Amino acid sequence: MHDRTHPLRIAVVGHTNTGKTSLMRTLTRDTGFGEVSSRPSTTRHVEGARLIVDGEVLVELYDTPGMEDPIALLERLEAIEAPDGERLDGPARVERFLEDPVCRARFEQEGKVLRQMLASDAALYVIDARDPVLAKHRDELEILGGCAVPLLPVLNFASSAASAETEWREALSRLGLHAVVRFDTVAPERDGERRLYQTLAMLLEFHRPLLDRLVAGREREAAARHTAAMRLVAELLVDVAACRIEVREDSASALEAAVDDLNERVRRREQHCVEALLSLYRFRSDDVDADQLPLIDGRWEDDLFNPETLRDMGVKLGTGAVAGAAAGAGIDLMVGGITLGAAAVLGALAGGGWQALRHFGDRLLGTFTGKRQLAVNDAILRMLALRQLHLVRALEARGHAAVEPIAKFVTESGKWREGTLPQPLRRARSHREWSGLLGTVGDETGRSEAIETLRELMESEPERGT
Amino acid sequence: MNPDQVFLAPMSSRDQDPVSCDPDSLGAFEARWLAEVVRLREEDGGSPVDSAAVRAAVDRVPGMEARILARACLLGVDDGTLQALRAWRARARLVMWALMGLALLSGFGAAVAVLGDGSRPVNVVWALGGLLGVNLFSLMLWFAGLLLDGADAGGVFGRGWLWISRRISSLGDSGVTVARAQFGLMGRAGLARWWLSAITHGLWLLALCGALAGLLLALSVRGYGFVWETTILPAGAFTAFVDVLGWLPAQAGFAIPDAETVRASGAAAVTHEAGRLAWSSWLTGCLIVYGIVPRALLWAGCLVYVGMGRSRLRLDLTLPGYTALVARYAPTSDRIGVTDAAPGTWHAARVGLPHRVGSRAAAIVGLELRGDVSWPPALAPQIEQMGVLDSREQRRQAIARLEANPPARLLVACDVRLTPDRGSLGLIAELSRHAGDCRVWLIMPTTQCELDRTVHWRDALAEAGFGVQAVFDDRGAALLWLEHGGDNA
Repeated sequence: MHDRTHPLRIAVVGHTNTGKTSLMRTLTRDTGFGEVSSRPSTTRHVEGARLIVDGEVLVELYDTPGMEDPIALLERLEAIEAPDGERLDGPARVERFLEDPVCRARFEQEGKVLRQMLASDAALYVIDARDPVLAKHRDELEILGGCAVPLLPVLNFASSAASAETEWREALSRLGLHAVVRFDTVAPERDGERRLYQTLAMLLEFHRPLLDRLVAGREREAAARHTAAMRLVAELLVDVAACRIEVREDSASALEAAVDDLNERVRRREQHCVEALLSLYRFRSDDVDADQLPLIDGRWEDDLFNPETLRDMGVKLGTGAVAGAAAGAGIDLMVGGITLGAAAVLGALAGGGWQALRHFGDRLLGTFTGKRQLAVNDAILRMLALRQLHLVRALEARGHAAVEPIAKFVTESGKWREGTLPQPLRRARSHREWSGLLGTVGDETGRSEAIETLRELMESEPERGT
Repeated sequence: MNPDQVFLAPMSSRDQDPVSCDPDSLGAFEARWLAEVVRLREEDGGSPVDSAAVRAAVDRVPGMEARILARACLLGVDDGTLQALRAWRARARLVMWALMGLALLSGFGAAVAVLGDGSRPVNVVWALGGLLGVNLFSLMLWFAGLLLDGADAGGVFGRGWLWISRRISSLGDSGVTVARAQFGLMGRAGLARWWLSAITHGLWLLALCGALAGLLLALSVRGYGFVWETTILPAGAFTAFVDVLGWLPAQAGFAIPDAETVRASGAAAVTHEAGRLAWSSWLTGCLIVYGIVPRALLWAGCLVYVGMGRSRLRLDLTLPGYTALVARYAPTSDRIGVTDAAPGTWHAARVGLPHRVGSRAAAIVGLELRGDVSWPPALAPQIEQMGVLDSREQRRQAIARLEANPPARLLVACDVRLTPDRGSLGLIAELSRHAGDCRVWLIMPTTQCELDRTVHWRDALAEAGFGVQAVFDDRGAALLWLEHGGDNA
C-alpha cells in the first residue's frame, strides 16, 4: 500500500499561459482559486490545494508559474559541471542549479517550478494544443524530464479547431512521453477527470489505490450533485404546474393584473432555480468562463413569456386554452368546468384527498358562478424544463465552451418538447396546494412525493446521443 | 406564560450550553426531523454563517450525516426550533387523544343506537350493516385510494387529524415549517401514507372497540328479540347468509344460530334463551372478526412498516440545503495557500536603443513562425533574409551574424497567436542591440484575428522599451519601413 504519511503531491507545470490555473480550478472545483486571465504570466507564485475525499486529503496539487525562458535555462543547466569533473544526472544538475544565486536573478520563476518539481511525486505538464510544437517546448520538457519525476502531458484545448494534437503527440513520444491525456481545462468531457487520474495511475502504480479512491469519490459527488440538480428542476416544475390564481373581479384590468402577477412570480421562481443551480455547481456569475453559459449576468436572456422564445425553441403553444389570447401567451384562463380526469377524481374521493376534491368542487362551482382561474400552460412548463436541463448540462460540463446552443439541445430533447407531460406534473395540475409559488406549501407529503417521482423520471432519462 | 410550555419537555433554550447538545439524546427520528426544520428555515431565510463554537463542535463529529444532525441540534436548541417542534408534537398528540376519545364514544354510541332501546326486536342484518357497513366502505375506499392514487392515500381520519392539528396550532409559521419538515421527511422516504393509514386504522379500531363495548353493554343489560325481514328473498337465502358469515367467527368459538332458529326468527322475534344467545354471539363474532381484526392487523402492519422505515431513515444529503452544508463541512478541496511567494521584481528584457551603425543594410528575421504563415515575404533583393528562429542553435547563429554585420534596420516578425514570453522578448531585445533600429511586425493570420493576444504583445513590447511606432501589425507598413526606413511611410 502507499505511504499514508503524506498525500500524493502533484505539480502542475507548463509553458506560460497554457491554462495551469484553470486546470487547478477544475480539479479542485474551486472557481476562486488563484487568478486566471488570458494575459501571460498571471501566476508568479506557487500555490497549493488539497483534494479531499471523505475527509481525507488524498492529493496535493501545486500551481506553478509558467516557464518562460526554457531555451536559456537549458543552456544554463547544461553548462553546470561538478567541480571534480564528476558526471551529474538530471536531478543533481537541477539541485546544483537551484543553489546557484544567478538563478534567483534571471530564472526566478523557473526556479520555483523546478523546486516544486523536486518536491513532488508527479507532475502534470499542461499544453495549449493550439500552439505549435516549438524548440522552447522541447527544451522545457527536457528540463522537466531531468527532475526525475513522472510527467503526464495534459493536452488542453485539444478539441479546438486549431489544435495541433497530432504534432504534439508525435513530439511527446519522441521525448519518451507516451502517456498523454486530453483534458479541456475549461470544458472537460464528462469522464475527462477520471481518465486524467487513471492515466496518472499508470505512471504511479504505487499510488494507484489512492487515485482510484479519488476517482470513486469524485464520481459519487458528481452523482449526488446531479440528483440535487434534478430535484431543483423538479421543484420548479411542480411549483409552476400546480400554481393556480383566481381572478375574482370580472374586468379586463383585473385579469391583466393577475396575469402580470403570475408571470412575474414564475419568472422569479425560475431565476431562483437558476441561482440555486449555479450555487450547487459552485459557479459564480462573474467567473471568467461565465460567458460560456447560456446565461447573461446569471439570467436567461429571452423572456419566458415571449411567444417568440417558445417559437424559437419549437415548443408548441398549448391548445385548449379557453381564453388564451385574452390571458396572454403562456397563461391559460379557465372558466370552471374543466374535467380533472376520472382517475384523479376517483383517487381523490377514495383516498380522502379532499384538497383535490375541493378543487374539483371549486371548478364545478366555477361553471355556475363564472369564477375564473389562471394557470401556467404546458408550453411554459416545457420551456422551463428544457431551459433548466440545458443549464444543468452546461454546468456539468463545467463550462462552457463546448456547450451546444440551446436550440440544438431542444430539438434533440423530443420528450420534453412534445407529447404528454410526465405524470407527476399532470397530477400537480389538480393540486394547487403543492405549489410554493403563492406562499407556503399546503401539502408537503404529496408535493415531495411528486417531486421525487419527477426527479427519478428525469434522472433515469437516458443520455442523448449514447 | 405561553400555553405551549405546558407540553414542553423541561428544556430551556437559554441556560443550555449550545456546544454540549447531543443529537443522540433526541432519538433518531426526532434528530432528523429537527435537521429538516433547520434546513427549511435556512432555505427560506438564508443560511447564516456558523459561529466558531458550532463549527468546532461539528468538526469533532465523524461522518457527514452525524455532523449535520449535530449542527441542527446545536442551532435548534439555541433558536427555539426544538421547542417549536416539541410544541407541535404535543399539540398533535393532544388532537390525537381527543380524536381517540371521540372515536371510542362514537363507536359506542353507534352500537347502542343500532340496537335501539329494546322496545322493538333487533333486525340482525340491519344491525350488522349498521355496525360494519361504514367501516367496510371506508376500508374499501382506503384500498382503492392505495391502488388509484398513492400519494393521496392514507384515509380520511389521518388527513383529518393533520388538518385539525394544523388549524389549532398557535405556532404560526414555525408550526407550518415543523409540519412541512415532518411530512417532507416521511414523504421522501415513502412513509407518509402508511403513517396516515396507521392513524386512520387506529382510529377505526378504537371506534369498533367502542362499538363492541356498546354492543356487549346493551346486550348485557337489555333484552332484545332478533328478527330478519324480507319482502322478496326466499327464507333459505338467510340461512345461507348466516351460515356463510358465521363460519369464520365459528372457528374462533362464536356460535352460529342453527337453521331452526334462523327460520324461526323469520316469522317472529326469537325470544327463547338459546336463540338469543346464539344471535348475540353471531353478531359479536361478526363485529370482531370482520371489523376489529382486519383493522387491528392493518394498524399493526402500518405501524411496523413505519417503525422500520423510520429506523432506516437517513437524511437525503442531496437536498439543496444539505449540499451547501456538505460543501462547508466536508469540502472536496481546500486551499493550502501560497507556498513560494512571487518575487517583488523580476527580470525584464530591455530593448537596445536605436543607434548609428556603419551599414545601411536591412534584415528581416522570423521568430517561431509556424508552417501556415507564408515566409519569407516577397522583398527587394538587397534585404537580408535571416530565416526563422526557433532552436538555441538558430538563435546563436543569428546573433553571431548580426554581430558580424549589424544592419541599420532589423524587422522581427512574430506570430501573434503565440504567447509573448520572457524568452521571446529577451531574444528580440538581444537582436535589437545588434541593429541600428529594430522593429517588430506582429503577423496576424488572416483566418482569425486574436485581438487579445495582440494587446498582450503590444503591452509586453512596450514594457521592454519598444515605442508605439516600433510595432507594426500591418504587413504593408512593416515592409515599407524595412525597405525604405523612416516613420512616415
